[in-house]
Amino acid sequence: MMPVSSDCQILKEDNVTHSFCGLACVGWLYQKIKDSFFLILGTHTCAHFLQNALGMMIFAKPRFGIALIEEADLSRAEPKLEEVIAEIKRDHNPSVIFLLSSCTPEVMKVDFKGLAHHLSSDTTPVLFVPASGLVFNFTQAEDSVLQALVPYCPEAPAGQKSVVFVGSVNDVTADDLRAEAEELGIPVGGFLPESRFDKLPAIGPDTVLAPIQPYLSRVCSRLNRERGSEVLTSLFPFGPDGTRAFWEDLAAMFGIKVDLADREKAAWEKIRKQTDLLKGKKIFLTADTMMELPLARFLKHAGAEVVECSSAYINKKFHARELEALDGVKVVEQPNFHRQLEEIRATRPDMIVTSLMTANPFVGNGFIVKWSMEFTLMSIHSWSGVFTLANLFVSPLLRRQSLPEFDESVWLEGMMPSAK
Amino acid sequence: MRLAFWLYEGTALHGVSRVTNSMKGVHTVYHAPQGDDYITATYTMLERTPQFPKLSISVVRGQDLARGTSRLPNTVKQVEEHYNPELIVVAPSCSTALLQEDLGQMARSSGVSPEKIMVYAVNPFRVSENEAAEGLFTELVKRYAADCPKTERPSVNLLGFTSLGFHLRSNLTSLRRMLTTLGVEVNVTAPWGAGIDDLKKLPAAWLNIAPFREIGLNAADYLKETFSMPAITLAPIGVQGTMSWLNSIIEEINKIAAERGVAPVCMPELRKFSFDGQSAPSGVPWFARTADMESFSNKRAFVFGDATQVVGVTKFLKDELGMQIIGAGTYLPSQADWVRSQLEGYLPGELMVTDKFQEVAQFIEEEMPELVCGTQMERHSCRKLDVPCMVISTPTHIENHLLGYYPFFGFDGSDIIADRVYTSAKLGLEKHLIDFFGDAGLEYEEPGMADVSSIGTPMSHAAEAVPPSPDEPSMQPQSLNGEMSWTGEAEKMLNKVPFFVRKKVRKNTENFAREIGEPVISAEVFRKAKEHLGG
Repeated sequence: MMPVSSDCQILKEDNVTHSFCGLACVGWLYQKIKDSFFLILGTHTCAHFLQNALGMMIFAKPRFGIALIEEADLSRAEPKLEEVIAEIKRDHNPSVIFLLSSCTPEVMKVDFKGLAHHLSSDTTPVLFVPASGLVFNFTQAEDSVLQALVPYCPEAPAGQKSVVFVGSVNDVTADDLRAEAEELGIPVGGFLPESRFDKLPAIGPDTVLAPIQPYLSRVCSRLNRERGSEVLTSLFPFGPDGTRAFWEDLAAMFGIKVDLADREKAAWEKIRKQTDLLKGKKIFLTADTMMELPLARFLKHAGAEVVECSSAYINKKFHARELEALDGVKVVEQPNFHRQLEEIRATRPDMIVTSLMTANPFVGNGFIVKWSMEFTLMSIHSWSGVFTLANLFVSPLLRRQSLPEFDESVWLEGMMPSAK
Repeated sequence: MRLAFWLYEGTALHGVSRVTNSMKGVHTVYHAPQGDDYITATYTMLERTPQFPKLSISVVRGQDLARGTSRLPNTVKQVEEHYNPELIVVAPSCSTALLQEDLGQMARSSGVSPEKIMVYAVNPFRVSENEAAEGLFTELVKRYAADCPKTERPSVNLLGFTSLGFHLRSNLTSLRRMLTTLGVEVNVTAPWGAGIDDLKKLPAAWLNIAPFREIGLNAADYLKETFSMPAITLAPIGVQGTMSWLNSIIEEINKIAAERGVAPVCMPELRKFSFDGQSAPSGVPWFARTADMESFSNKRAFVFGDATQVVGVTKFLKDELGMQIIGAGTYLPSQADWVRSQLEGYLPGELMVTDKFQEVAQFIEEEMPELVCGTQMERHSCRKLDVPCMVISTPTHIENHLLGYYPFFGFDGSDIIADRVYTSAKLGLEKHLIDFFGDAGLEYEEPGMADVSSIGTPMSHAAEAVPPSPDEPSMQPQSLNGEMSWTGEAEKMLNKVPFFVRKKVRKNTENFAREIGEPVISAEVFRKAKEHLGG
């Protein structure tokens, strides 16, 4: 463990944890970008992961697939993907093909950039997306996808001042954010990503980038570097507190002064029943989706006691405001699951926000859990997401209250014969 | 290089974890990049394990490789400290296998006793789930099985029962019920629920029961060679299969009983195997003879899955229910020869051997069987085609991990399979009524086919109406061969055809039209097709 800063204590451990690799982002991005195809250069493991852990079944013509590296391919100097690309174009005619890396070709030192360049055509670009578990956790590869899109975002001329929201959200949430911005007088340049490749937003020196997901630091700093766009530094728009700060700070970047104190107060009021229940509750967040910092901040402001907030990746600049708001909370980067398990058994938190891999066993150990992945798949942004966000946290607590007494020695017997 | 969307078999690492997750006191350490322990979710979510599966990942990061550092020794040490297992199995994933590291050396440098560490490194580009599971289980049996005195009373080991096995718990219950009725004890079940001490005492049993082609056979062979233990390798599927299985056990036990001068085991009256002790042990033999089931005699069935299930279910459908088998296949190429030899005389053509679900779906679309027995993928394909399908083999998903008792083995299993065939396929008197009266006065809305099964009459065996599950947002029935155009009049005629055969009639008509070179289906073409296809 090492403290990485004096003003904000982040403990860093060894990442012996249970979470997914970057390929997980295919699960939502292929649905978001409707004229795309996601091609993973990978192995049986990658295919098995997508079909099992993400529970994906195959539709008539899925817009993602794996160029399967089999034994015979290991000895080849460079993978030959021409036929696979031709098949994809024939069956799907996508506007763009994302070529995702995975662990095995990374170990084989495949020249992905060269490969993508070679496979690209004017009509169908093939964009390299680093996504392997050697580097990327869970949601992080969305950052790589967005970076791959950067060269295809038109240059916005200087003087064209507007906001571009960065992060994939469903269309309803996007419409909602757009309407909210316009109501505050903020001109909207678009979203990165939009739901189509051919509709990418223009980005230039007077674009304000508003990250709406907490795992997109790299694409923001790259756009800042390459296009001179300013990046909003605020809280992420989750919960009444985050949403207020987000809109006020964004408006300020457009020279608009708004005071959303009443709006925040009303939003807290709307979820009073939920916050009453959360007050004083000890909540532990194991690392999973990298949504943990803003979620913990909301919980803290809602009156809960956050016992530990762990995340796979923390960027002190990108997450500065969230870390500031979490002052006094134990924050861990790349935590060690064995250590967490011991602490959880000792501190007995009232709720654990944790991955699909660990949720049921925590319940079996007598805890109340919430799947962390749900927060990436539900509409919890901005004012309209406040109610959903609060309910996600309280529903497991309420549900447990309503279930009858449970004698573990009786009702768990034989459920897992390998457990001692 | 091929484009894959979905695969039947899991990875070698998955096979390894199925064995270790089954066992007590065994902890697996994956030497692998972030996310390769996604397999854990299959246990915690599908089997809903109330404890943590004993799997830890020792994360390999790109920067570690660059620096030449390994976290493996430290992870092994942590696992020892936190869980104190009896055995730590260290396994690489596909990417780390390429690094050709000395995992044994690395694991030993953790300071944990080498006796406790087992490196199981197979070539993940060559070995898949079943072979890896079989290999590891055999290794473990070889490592621990030790000479020990035989049990006093007749006993067996149940080998090959493994985490995420098809209807595992129910099958075990069914076998245990029958063995209890026979008066035979279970010495050890492995790997499911077995600890190292259980493996040690495997040779105490009189014989081994290893019903799966996929896992357990090699261990049974080893125990036969080394400890002279006979093995029953039949799968008790169907009443006939179950009777053979019981007779074989009795025969083998009695050979040993005679040597040992112990009283033989006798076949009890068959009613003793029933739940209430006073009925036939299975309803299948009578069921198959009923007039109601007469309509089964020409039902066309297709069976696809792993080796054990495909052979057992195909034989059951043909021999015991009198169905017509139009084809069978397996996704396990290494088992193809065995399946072929078992199904000799059962199949009209070649056994299908493929790991490409598209080829299986294509066959189903071309043949439009009246019943498909397959994996979850076939169920999925059949939904699109409106073909009745029941799941009989892994790969499974959550719908195969139910709470109730649904064995496929034994007398109890025979009833379950027959019930599923019955409720999946469309049959009986109702079919004749609908055939005769067209829609029988019930016009179903398409698509959606709302709640067909609620329109019940005492003789209603209505088609299973499966609401689209949330994981399938927009499933439009699609023809893989592209659509042909139909005139309004022909469509109207088609709509008079019972809804559940409408799709099949549409397809057959289109095929016929193509054959005679008609680009559009008119009322006349439709009539011709009807005539040609025999009404």
